[in-house]
Amino acid sequence: MDYQAMLAIGLPIGVGLAAIGSGIGLGGAVGSAMDAIGRNPEASGKIMTSMIIGAALIEALTIYALVVFFMLQGHIGS
Amino acid sequence: MIMKTDSGLNFLDQIVKATAFLLLIFLPLGMYYWTVNNTLALFSGGIWGVINFMFISAITKLVLSPNNSDKIKALKLGIIKFPLLYLAGYFLLSVPQFEAIYLTLGFSSLFAVLILWSLGSLLVPSNWNAKVKDSEVVT
Repeated sequence: MDYQAMLAIGLPIGVGLAAIGSGIGLGGAVGSAMDAIGRNPEASGKIMTSMIIGAALIEALTIYALVVFFMLQGHIGS
Repeated sequence: MIMKTDSGLNFLDQIVKATAFLLLIFLPLGMYYWTVNNTLALFSGGIWGVINFMFISAITKLVLSPNNSDKIKALKLGIIKFPLLYLAGYFLLSVPQFEAIYLTLGFSSLFAVLILWSLGSLLVPSNWNAKVKDSEVVT
């Protein structure tokens, strides 16, 4: 198996794993934030700030995976 | 009972404004001293990141706010955000003049501002401004 075939198999799997990982991470973050706001509604501003930053970082990691996919995509068919 | 929910959320608006300001300053300087394509790629990536962050922030506030939760509006924003921003990202990545590394760097500029801002607020004590004002009054 040459490297192009390995790329063709590995790239979609990598992006899929990144999406699954970020989905699990975001789900955990939002669930914990809702739990925390339910327990302490006065602190909702601070909890939401931390959660928004966390959510943005998690989504950024998925977008990085997508960027790597686009960078390496051109090597598959050449 | 009126609850304050915006404590700390101003921080996010300040981050967004600071990043946008930084990108606007960088645009003419980069075009003059660096290459036009790379500067535009970095600028577009930065704007993409800022808009993405604003959408995430708005959706999260609408979903999680205990007082004014509006899930329909959040759903509408989500419907706008995901296709529009990912299509914009796809378009930016498919422009041959833009290198993906500079787009990614621009996208990460918001996080760089965030980390530097947090470091600054950790290193500089919160009553620093008050101390400076007091010392000005004394002298």
